[in-house]
Parts: sequence; C-alpha cells; structure tokens
Amino acid sequence: MSWNSLRLLLRGVPMMLATLCALMLVTFGLSSLSPIDPALQLIGDHASASTYTQVRHELGLDAPWPRQLERYVAAVVHGDLGVSRSTGQPVRDDLERVFPATIELATLALIVGGVCGLGLALASVRYPRGFIDGFARVISLAGNSIPVFWLGLIALYVFYARLHWVRGTGRLSDAFEYTVDMRSGFVLLDAWRGGERGALSDALAHLIMPVLILASYALGNITRLIRAALLGEAGKEYVTLARAKGAGRTRVLLRHMAPNIRGFALTVLALTYTNLLEGAVLVETVFARPGIGRYLTTALFDADMPAILGATLLIGACFVVINGLTDLAVRLSDPRVA
Amino acid sequence: MSRPTRSLRAGPLAAGLMVVATALLVGCTRSVNPPDVFVTAQSLDDLVSLDPAEGFELSSLQTFTSVYQRLVQPDRDDPARLDPSLAARWTAGDRMLTFDLREDAVFSSGNPVRPEDVIYSLSRAVKLNRAPAFILNQLGWTSTNVDASLVKVDDHRVEIHWTAELGTAVVLNILTSPIASIVDEQVVAAHRQESDEGNRWLRSHSAGSGPFKIRRYVPREALVLDANRSSPAGAPRLDTLILKNVPDAGTRRLLVEVGDADLARDLGPDQIAALATSRAVKVLEFPSATIHYLLFNTANPGNPALANPALWEAARWLIDYRGIAEKLLRGQFIVHQAFLAQGFPGALDDTPYHLDVARARRILARAGLAAGVRIRLSVFNQPPYADIAQSLQATFAQGGIALDIVPAEASEVYSQVRARSEEAVWLYWIPDYFDAHSTAGAFAFNPEDGTKTLAWRAGWQIPGLNALTRAAALEPDPETRLSKYREIQAQVQRSSPYVIALQARTGIAVRSEVNGYFQGVDADMAYYDRVSK
Repeated sequence: MSWNSLRLLLRGVPMMLATLCALMLVTFGLSSLSPIDPALQLIGDHASASTYTQVRHELGLDAPWPRQLERYVAAVVHGDLGVSRSTGQPVRDDLERVFPATIELATLALIVGGVCGLGLALASVRYPRGFIDGFARVISLAGNSIPVFWLGLIALYVFYARLHWVRGTGRLSDAFEYTVDMRSGFVLLDAWRGGERGALSDALAHLIMPVLILASYALGNITRLIRAALLGEAGKEYVTLARAKGAGRTRVLLRHMAPNIRGFALTVLALTYTNLLEGAVLVETVFARPGIGRYLTTALFDADMPAILGATLLIGACFVVINGLTDLAVRLSDPRVA
Repeated sequence: MSRPTRSLRAGPLAAGLMVVATALLVGCTRSVNPPDVFVTAQSLDDLVSLDPAEGFELSSLQTFTSVYQRLVQPDRDDPARLDPSLAARWTAGDRMLTFDLREDAVFSSGNPVRPEDVIYSLSRAVKLNRAPAFILNQLGWTSTNVDASLVKVDDHRVEIHWTAELGTAVVLNILTSPIASIVDEQVVAAHRQESDEGNRWLRSHSAGSGPFKIRRYVPREALVLDANRSSPAGAPRLDTLILKNVPDAGTRRLLVEVGDADLARDLGPDQIAALATSRAVKVLEFPSATIHYLLFNTANPGNPALANPALWEAARWLIDYRGIAEKLLRGQFIVHQAFLAQGFPGALDDTPYHLDVARARRILARAGLAAGVRIRLSVFNQPPYADIAQSLQATFAQGGIALDIVPAEASEVYSQVRARSEEAVWLYWIPDYFDAHSTAGAFAFNPEDGTKTLAWRAGWQIPGLNALTRAAALEPDPETRLSKYREIQAQVQRSSPYVIALQARTGIAVRSEVNGYFQGVDADMAYYDRVSK
C-alpha cells in the first residue's frame, strides 16, 4: 500500500468515528422518544407492580436518558454491547452469530447479481434495441419492482414444495445442523474446513434460492444504472473519434467507454452491497435464515434497545467502511478523481 | 483485443449455468427427517427465557411442560383432575399442604429430587421476581417471608404454608403453573453468577426432570431437546425434538406440506384452508383458553358515558359476534360470552347476546344517550385486532356510538390500561393457571388493598362481587365452588364494563403419520412425550 492510499485511509478514520457517534446519538434519541415501554414489552401485562419497578431499574430505565446514554457509551468503549432483552443473550454473541450469515448471503448475491448485471448492461449497450436490450430492460424493471418477499414465497412453492429442486429453509438440514462446528459463522467455510462434503453440499443447496432471489434485486439495480451510464457515454466525442479511427463497437465499449464509468460502477456495486446487507431481512424471514436484518427488525418490534443499538452500530460501521473503501478504490483507479 | 470481449460475453451465461448446475447437483435429493427426530415449525421470536422462574411467553411456557415437572399437574385428558407428578401424594391442613415426594424421582442430571430442590425452586422464583412471580405472590409469599413458608419435614416430605385467603384447591392449581416447576438445585447452583441464582445459565439450558432436556438453544433459530430417559414422567417415544423458528406462516405451511417439518403451529386461516385438502397433512383443532373482550374504562373522567351501565348493556347488542368469528376471522374463534373459557370447569357456555341494533338504540335512548356517544377505542396494531376494531366501528355506528380507533403497539396499549388513561380497549386474556380463580380474581375482584386487578383497571367498584369471589376461592366443596363461579360469571355477563365476545381456537397442522400429539386448553399444555411417527 502506497503512502498516498494509507493517508487517504487514515483521513477517513475520524469521519468514521464521528458518523458512528452521530448514529448512536440519533438511534438512542429516537428510541427514547418511542412510546413503547421496554419493561412492559418484556414482562407483559400480568406482571406485578413490584416486578415492573424492579425490571425498569435493572434495565436502567429509571435513570434520565442522558445518564442511560452515558452508561451505554462507557460500556461500548469497553467492548460491552449489553444483553439483549428479547433473546436474553449478550448482544455481541448474537451479532457474531447472525452477521456472518448475512455477509455470506449478501456477498454471494452481489457476486451473482454483479457479474450478470454488468454483463447484461454491456450486452444491451453493444446490441441496442435488440432482444438482449429488451431483456435487460425487463430484467432491470422486474428486479426493482417485484417484491422479494413475494418472489421468495413463490420460488419456495415452485422449486421447493412442488419440484423439490432445492432445499427448504434455514442454513442446513436438520441432519447436518449440529454436526458442523460453526467456528467462523460462515456455514460454507465451516463445512468446507471441517471436511464435511455432505454438509457443504447441503449448505449450498440451502443458499441457492435465497441468493438468487436477493441477486435478482442486485441484478435489476446494477443493470439499470450501468446501462444508463454507458448510454450516457455513447454520445460523447471520444466515442465518435474512436469509431472514426476505425475501432469496432465492442472495442470502443470495452476499451474506451467501460473504463470511463469504472468509478461510477464501483459506487453502484458498493451501494448495492450495503443495501443487500441491510435489506436481506425479507429474504431472511421467508427462508427462516438468521441475519442482521431480521435481528434488527425483531429487536425494533420488541423495543430491545441494546440489540437495536448494537445492530445499528454494526450496520453503520459497515456502511462507513464500505463507502470509505469505495472512495479509496475510485481514487486509486481513476486519476481524474483528486 | 478480442479475448476480454469473449470472456465478458460468456461471463453471465457461465455464471447462470453454474448456478443452475449447482442447484441440480446439490438439490436433487431431498432431506428426510429420521423417524426418531420430530421437527416443529413455529415462531420462536417471542422466546425470551427458558428459566421457569422468568419465561412467560407462549413458546417458553409450552417448552416447560416438556422439560420440567411440578409437584402436581393437571391430568392431560381431564385437566380438572390433579395428578401427582413429583409429589406422590399430599395432605391438606389449615393453610398448609404437606407433599410426599416420589422416592425414585431423579433429575436429568441423575441427582435425586429432594425437598431442598422444592424449597429452592419456589423460593428462587419469588426472590428473582420476574414476570410470572405474581402467580406465587398470590399465596402471600414475598421475598422476605417465602423461606419461612417452605419447610423440609424429612428427606422425602416438604410443607408449604400460605397466608393469603385461598382454599387448598386454588393453591394446588397455582402450584401447577410453570413458575412452580422444580429445578435441580445442585446443577443450578453450580452455574450461579453473582446473585443471579443461575438465571443467566437457565435462560438457555435446563435442569429439570421432564421427559426432555435441552441439548442446544440458538436464539431465534432453534431449540433442540433430547429425550430424558430417566424422567419420572416416563421416557418419551422420540429421541430428539427440534423446535425450529420459521417466522413466516406461509413458509411453515410449505415445510409441513413437504415433510421437512412434522408439525406446524401459528398458521393463519389461509394456510389452514390450503392444508385442509392435503392427504399428507391433517389439521388438528384445539380450544384455547384465550378470551377476547372489550373493556370500558369507567375511571376515565373525560368520558362519563363509559361508567353508564346502559352503555355497557347496549354494547353487548352492538357486536356482530357470529360475523367476526365465522366470516371475518374464518374459524379462528368461537363466540363465547363468559370470562371462563370453554374447557375450564364451571365455564358458562350460553351466548345470550347477538347483534341487535334496534334493541341497543332503545337502551341508549332510555338512558339519555341517544344524542350520540363518541369513544376512543385502543387496539393492538396487529392482525386480527384491526379487523375486529373495524367491525365494531361499523356496528357501533349503527347504534349511534362513534368509535375512534386508536391502533398502537401492544406495550403502549398496556401502558394506557395500567395508567387508566384509555377510554375503551379491545384486549385478550389468558389464564395464568388452570383454575377459575386465575380469571375471576382479575375480572371480578377489585379489593381496596391496592391490588391492581383487571377490575381496578376498568375502575369498577364491586364490593358484592369481591366477597363472592373471595368466598369462591376459599370454598372447600368442589361443586359449591363451581356454582359460585357460575354465579359470578352470570353477574359479569349481565352487567359489567367488559363485553366478552370470543374464544380462540388453535389450528395445528401435523403430518398424517404423526400420532400422539395433544394440546390442552391452557397455554402451557403442549404434550410431546407420547408423540410418534
């Protein structure tokens, strides 16, 4: 790594810390304004007044909210994200369990969606107004407009319940669920490392459908934006000049137009990835897979403040890191960006 | 120059082919659950704790029946009858019970069940003071006096004393509730952290003597139970029971249809209807003790009409009971108009009220309320409450009562009810233990000692009913006791700020080869020990 790139990285650290602090403050403030009573949410309606008072005290809810925030920040600084009120487990343990599942799903979806989306966008610009172009437009429209929740249920019904082509829900079948030592939390990696061929194949079979469903969203997004960016380049003078000098359409597209939008393409990929990380909740729900999106959503319904804050901070940190790395990649790859 | 072009063109195609090929290769064989492993698809999102002194959610209550035993438990076929469980027999005295423990009873750890375990379990539950502690508090037990109320007589006998005005029958039934589960003191004490009495450990582990023991609990994913072959309740027929968290009802239906789950819970009317014609799946229906009712807050000074008995009476004729139960909610409920659910001893089964707008208008006119009444109705912001509220709004409007629906999150609604700031609210009630007093003590008891019962929340002053409810709780003769509860129900049904309307039914889908699953009327009565397939 050059000194220049290291300098760029270091410059992002204070910004990242400031963003996380602001995120924590806003999340904490919004949760404090919420009409939901976390103590009542936890103990239910029948509990006695003395239990209610005790639980409020144990949760620290009887202190003014600046004091609650101060306590929370002090704990976070020491690496303690607290205990989830809705799972009864340390938030850190919960996140270590659910976040790798989301990364696995979102990364594979991005790879499938990214490769197919970029290919489709290039092909549609290479053969405008043809079949591929029409197909790309339909795909990008469908990927952006069909709800993944509905698509997931239909896919489960057809490919799992009727055709039996894929496995059902969860990350592994029950026969393998407790034989794999989940050390890293990434089921493919752990199954492969443990030499469990059957478990690896089973994990892949469980991943195909949710990955394809989530990739359909990525595919639609990437195809639409990259195609539009390439079409925007098509009318520029350097393209006319290259064509006038005798370069073929494919060569112009790949050697001249595509490099000019690489910064934009990197940004699109990064934004899509962050959306997938956060937005996999519906796919996780339909396919009964653990994940950060579902963890956060359930925590929100339960007014589970430690879980909400822990998950929000983690997702926020991911956004900041991915954005920072994307900025760096764009600067390093495109000399026009200062 | 042509190489990258070819590779880029081939990229998506190759990727697509790879995915389809992988799908076909790895997905062409279906997984089959072994015959000794039973998988249920249900929502475990509600599960907070598997410690019987803390867990008070449906999923944990149902699990406690499989994992723990109490001194006495309701007979599963006739819940009105008490069966010995960890106690072989008992004798009653003046506000005391002496239990003889089964001499051969052991926990899943192999430790014998001792009087010390009984004392520790009950005392621990009171001192931890978690959500269900109020059930044991009803005996007059507090963290300061509970130890003196539990006495070891000898190595196999334990005495239980109480100070509250309750008869033996009520106390025995209170001891059947999940919070009275007996835990293995030696195991729990070994996992004590600071002063938590093993609570953190027991949230995800077990130390009981029930037919199953917890092998592994992964929050919001799965709860895996193994057979406890040494259980005093008898060894279960299954080796392993997996309760799998499947949050979406549509997916639960597909899992049981395909055979990856043997049982699916929490299905909606759409899923039940879709499975009704399946040959591979049978739908079992069990009555549930959950009662749905409308409550008027008579203590709200902003709307004096709420305290007018004529409004309560008119409201009874302004609900389309049958339309809600049979059409709107399609078989998930039955019409039920008394506070004791069908299936509880002494429950009134008659349904004297139906939708009669003309009669309601006459009642309101006689009471001088014909000019129109406006009421804020608080409801949970989840199905089926919004549908029920809209039906009420429509029929009450015909009678001249304008209902303003205020949907809110459940804990927000509970906050309003506890603070008595709402005007009217649609709520549900689940009894805490299998005894009429659990419900009568809420609906028809508003003592002046500061106990905030449901009647207190409705602002309903009822000295006469208080005496009757107290007498019923103390009545030693079973038949006389039941007749007293029938009388209390009739009074509440006739005139009270509650309009009791519906009783829930539970629909469960099981594979056709599954036998022996049974579910009782109360929340914790889910029995897996006789299940086979």
